[in-house]
Amino acid sequence: MASFAETGPRTPVTEGIRVDKVHPRARLLRNIRAILVVVVALIGLVPVFAMGLTAFKSRADVVSVPPQLIFEPTLEGFVFLLTERSQMSASALATAQANEEELSLFERIALENGQRINGPSDFVTRLRNSLIIAGGSTILSVVLGVFAAYAFSRFDIPGKDDLMFFILSTRMLPAVVVAVPLFLMFRQIGLHDTHLGMIILYTVFNLSLTVWLLKGFIDEIPREYEEAALVDGYTRMQAFFKIVLPQAATGIAATTVFSLIFAWNEYAFALMMTSNNARTAPPAIATMLGRGGIEWSAIAAGTLAFLIPVVIVIFALRQHLLRGVTFGAIRK
Amino acid sequence: MATIELRQVEKLFGDFQAVKPVDLTIKDGEFVVLLGPSGCGKTTTLRMISGLEAVTRGEILLDGRNVTWRHPSDRDIAFVFQFFALYPHMTVRENIAFPLQAEGQSKELIAGRLNEVVDLLQIRRLLNARPSSLSGGDQQRVALARALVRRPAAFLMDEPLGALDAEFRETMRAEIKRLHIAQNATTVYVTHDQIEAMAMGDRIIVMSNAEVQQVGTPAEVYYEPANLFVARFIGSPGMNLVPGKYQEGVVHLAGGNEYPVPERWRRSLTADLSGEDVIVGFRPEAAVADSEAGLTAELYADELHGAHTILHLSLNGRASESIIHIRAGRGARHPIGETVRFDLKPEMVRFFDPHTELALQLEGNNG
Amino acid sequence: MTSATVSRSVSGGKRPRRRHLSDRAIQNLFIWPTLILLIAINLFPLFYSLYLSFTDYSAIANQQPVWIAFENFSRVFNDEGMWEIFSITGRYVLFSVLLQLVLGFTLAMLVREKFLGSGVITTLILVPMMLSPVVVGLFWKLMYNPTFGYFNYLIGFDNPSTAPDWLASRFAGQPVPGLALWAVIIVDVWMWTPFVMLLILSGLKAIPEYLYEAAAIDRASSWFQFWRITLPQVAPLVMIAVLFRTIEAMNKSFDLVMGMTGGGPGAQTEVVAVNLYRQAFQGQWRTGRASALAYIVLIIIIAVSNLYIRNLNKARKEG
Repeated sequence: MASFAETGPRTPVTEGIRVDKVHPRARLLRNIRAILVVVVALIGLVPVFAMGLTAFKSRADVVSVPPQLIFEPTLEGFVFLLTERSQMSASALATAQANEEELSLFERIALENGQRINGPSDFVTRLRNSLIIAGGSTILSVVLGVFAAYAFSRFDIPGKDDLMFFILSTRMLPAVVVAVPLFLMFRQIGLHDTHLGMIILYTVFNLSLTVWLLKGFIDEIPREYEEAALVDGYTRMQAFFKIVLPQAATGIAATTVFSLIFAWNEYAFALMMTSNNARTAPPAIATMLGRGGIEWSAIAAGTLAFLIPVVIVIFALRQHLLRGVTFGAIRK
Repeated sequence: MATIELRQVEKLFGDFQAVKPVDLTIKDGEFVVLLGPSGCGKTTTLRMISGLEAVTRGEILLDGRNVTWRHPSDRDIAFVFQFFALYPHMTVRENIAFPLQAEGQSKELIAGRLNEVVDLLQIRRLLNARPSSLSGGDQQRVALARALVRRPAAFLMDEPLGALDAEFRETMRAEIKRLHIAQNATTVYVTHDQIEAMAMGDRIIVMSNAEVQQVGTPAEVYYEPANLFVARFIGSPGMNLVPGKYQEGVVHLAGGNEYPVPERWRRSLTADLSGEDVIVGFRPEAAVADSEAGLTAELYADELHGAHTILHLSLNGRASESIIHIRAGRGARHPIGETVRFDLKPEMVRFFDPHTELALQLEGNNG
Repeated sequence: MTSATVSRSVSGGKRPRRRHLSDRAIQNLFIWPTLILLIAINLFPLFYSLYLSFTDYSAIANQQPVWIAFENFSRVFNDEGMWEIFSITGRYVLFSVLLQLVLGFTLAMLVREKFLGSGVITTLILVPMMLSPVVVGLFWKLMYNPTFGYFNYLIGFDNPSTAPDWLASRFAGQPVPGLALWAVIIVDVWMWTPFVMLLILSGLKAIPEYLYEAAAIDRASSWFQFWRITLPQVAPLVMIAVLFRTIEAMNKSFDLVMGMTGGGPGAQTEVVAVNLYRQAFQGQWRTGRASALAYIVLIIIIAVSNLYIRNLNKARKEG
C-alpha cells in the first residue's frame, strides 16, 4: 500500500473512480467478482442448454451413459413429438425406402424407425389450444384491465385500496381452493373443458396482474395532459382514448406480454378444468411421460418448443421484467 | 498549516476532458470558491482534492505532502455534500461522533468535541433525532457538525446550499462564513451561484469548459474580468458587452453612436487589438443616465428595484448585441420609447478583443 | 376531479355537441365488468368452497352434499399423514426461501458494480423464472436421471451405480429419505434465485453513492458500510422477496412437483398443493374434505399476503 500511495497506478486513470478503488487489490477483487458472476450465470443456463441439446439427440444418444455433449444432431425428437405414427409392414417399408427422395424430411426420419406418418399428433392440437386460450384471455384481460386501471388511477373510488387488495389477492389464492367449486360450476353450465370456459378463467386470473401493472403505468402519465384536454372541451372518454392510451402504449405492450407468458405457462387450472377438448400444452407435456415408452427426446423437443417463445419475449421485455413479476412495485 | 496545491492536475473521462491541466495554490485559512456553470469541472476538481475522484495526471499536495494517491480518509480533510450524506439509520449524535469513533478516539475526547460542535451550530436539541425527520437546513447543520468534529486541515464543500430552500440559503451562507472565521480553516467551496461566491469568497476561481478563466478576489473578478466569460457570468445583470469598431480613438457603436475612449486606454487599444473589432464592456452602474453628452439609445422597458431603476435600452433595434442595461436614479421618469442619453464613467469601462475573448490590459498593469 | 360534466363552451364550439358520459358513469363502466368477472369467478367460488368444506360432498358421487359441520376440519388436524404433509411443505418453503435469499443477496452484491456485459448477463440470469414450472420440472426430471441425466455427470458422479438417484431418494442403492425433496428444493432455488437477486439489486442500486463516499472519508469499515448503509435500505425489498416467494412456494409448487415427481417417491415430496389436488380430483374425489384443507391453507396465505402487500406499498412509496 505504501508504494501505491507514493507512485499511483501504472497507467493514467481515465474513468470516474475513487482513489482507494484504483488500488491494485481493489481492481483484483473487482475482476474476481466479474468472473464469479459469469460463472453463476452460466451455471444457471446449463440446464436450459442441456435440454436444448437433448431435443436434438437420437433415441440412442439420449440414454447413453455417460451423457454425451457431442453427438450427431437429429430432428427425431420433433418428429416423435409432432406426429402420429404407426409401424409399416415389411412390404410397405420396402416401397417407401425405394422412393425415399419423394418423402419430406419428417417422413424420412420416421422411415428410419420403420414408421409412417399418419398426421399431426395430439400435441399439435394442444399447442394450438394454448395459443387460442392464452391469446384470447390476454386480449380480454388487457382490455378490461386498462379500463379498470384508468379508473383506479384517476378517480377517487370509495374503498379503492380495499378493492385493489381484493384484485391482487386473487393471484395469491391456491388454485385448488377455487378450482373445485369452479369445476362444479363449469360442469353445471357446460363450460367444462371448453375454450370459452378456459378463456374466461384465464382472463379473470390475469386481471389481477393487468390491473396492477397498468395502474402503475397510467399513474406515471401526468394528469395535466388530460386536464388540458378537458379544458379544451374534450370529454373524458375522448381524453382517455386520444391522450392516455397512446402514452400508455409501451406499458400496455409490456403488460400484454406478461399476461401472455403467465397464461401460456399455466398448468394447474389447465390440468383440472380440461380433458380432451380444450387441453393446453403444459398438462399435455407432463402426461406424455405416461404414454407407452418414455421418449425423452420428444419431451425435450416439446419443452424446447414451449420455452423458446417465452425466452424470445423475455429478451424483448427485459426492461420491464422486474416490474411485471412484482406487480409493478419495482421499477428497474 | 493547511495549504492546498494543485500541480498540472487533469481529469479525463475516456476522451472527454473534464478538467484541463490546472495549477492552483490555496493558502492556509483562505476561503476559496470554485465558481462556474454546470459541467465546467469545478465539482470534479473538488472531488480530486478529496480523493473521491482519481486524477488522470498531476499532483495534489496538502501542506506540502503529496496526497494524490492517498485514501480519502488519509488526507485530513472533511467533505460536505450537497445532499447531506448523513447515515440514515443513526441518530444525529451517532452521525457526528462517527468520524472520531472510526479513528479510535477516546470517549472523553469524542464527548468533548461533540459538545463543542453542537453548541457552535446550535443543534443540541436535535441530538436524538434521525436525519430523515429533520429539515434540509438542520440536516446540513448536522453535516457541518460532522465535518467540524474532526478538526481537519481543510474543508471541502460541494454546493452545500444547493438543496435548501431560498430562505435557508441566506442564513446558512452567513453561518458557514461565521464558522470559517471562527475556525480559520482552509475552505474550498463549490457553487454555480455567483452571488454566493461573491459574498463568501476571499478568492474566486472562475471556471468554464474545464478551464480556469480567472483567479482573483471578488473585486478583481467584478471590476477587472479577464475575459468575456467572466464579464458575463459575474454580476446580475451581467456586464454590458457592446460590439463596435475602433478607429483612431473612437469606437463606433450601433445606433450611430460614437464613443471616444478614455485617454489611458488609447495605447492598449491601438497596440493590442488584432483588428478593428472591439467590445466595450461596462456594468449597469458604470453608466450615468440623462447626461448632457454621450451615447443615445431607445428605452424599451424598465425595472424598479427599490433604490434604483434598471433601464433596458436598445441601441439599434432588438438585436441582442445592442441591448444594454443601465442604472438610473429612482426618481427618473422615462416613458417607454423615449431616447435616453447616457455617459460612461471612464474608470469603469473595459475593453475586450472579440476574437481572443480576452480583456485588454491597461499599460503598466500586471492584470 | 368531480363528476361534473365539462362544458365545451371554452373551445368555442369546435366539436359537435353530443351526449357524453359523466365521470361517475365512466367509473362504473370501466370498473364493473372487471369486478363482476372477479366476483363470479373468484369470490363466489370462494364462498361455495367454504360451504362445501362443511359437507361431505364428493364431485363424482351422485348425491347431494350433506352437512357435517367441522368434521372435515378436525379430520385434517387429527390426521398424522396431514401433519407430515405440512412438515414437508414447511421444510420446502423454509429451505427454498432461505437459500434463495442468501444466494440472491450474494449475487446482487457481486453484480452491483458494473462490468463488461453485465446487462446481457443479468438478462440471461432471468430466464429460469419465466419458464413454466411444470415444464421446468419435467426437464429437471431428465437431468436428475441417475443413468443418463446430466446432473450427476456435471457434479462429478461418473458412475451411475455409485451416484445418487435423486428422485428416488437413493444413494448407491441405499435409501436416503428426503433426498427427493432436496432435489425439488434445488430446482426451486435454481428458478427463483435470479428473481430475488434482481429485487435486491434494484434496492442496492437505489442507494445514493454519496453515502458511501461520506463513509470513505470517515474511514468506515466495510462491515459498517454494509450494516448501517446497505442493509437498512434494502430491508423492505428483502421482505417483499421473502413474502412473495413464500406465497408462491405454497401455491406454485404444485406445478413444479407435479412435473418432477408427482409427489413421490411415496409421499416424500407431496406438498400441500399436490395433496389437495389428489384429494379433490383423484381417488375418491373427496371434494368436501379437500375444500376444508384448502381453506386452512388459504387462511395462512391471506395472513402472509397481508404482510406482502403492506411491504409492497411501502416500497412503492419510497421507490
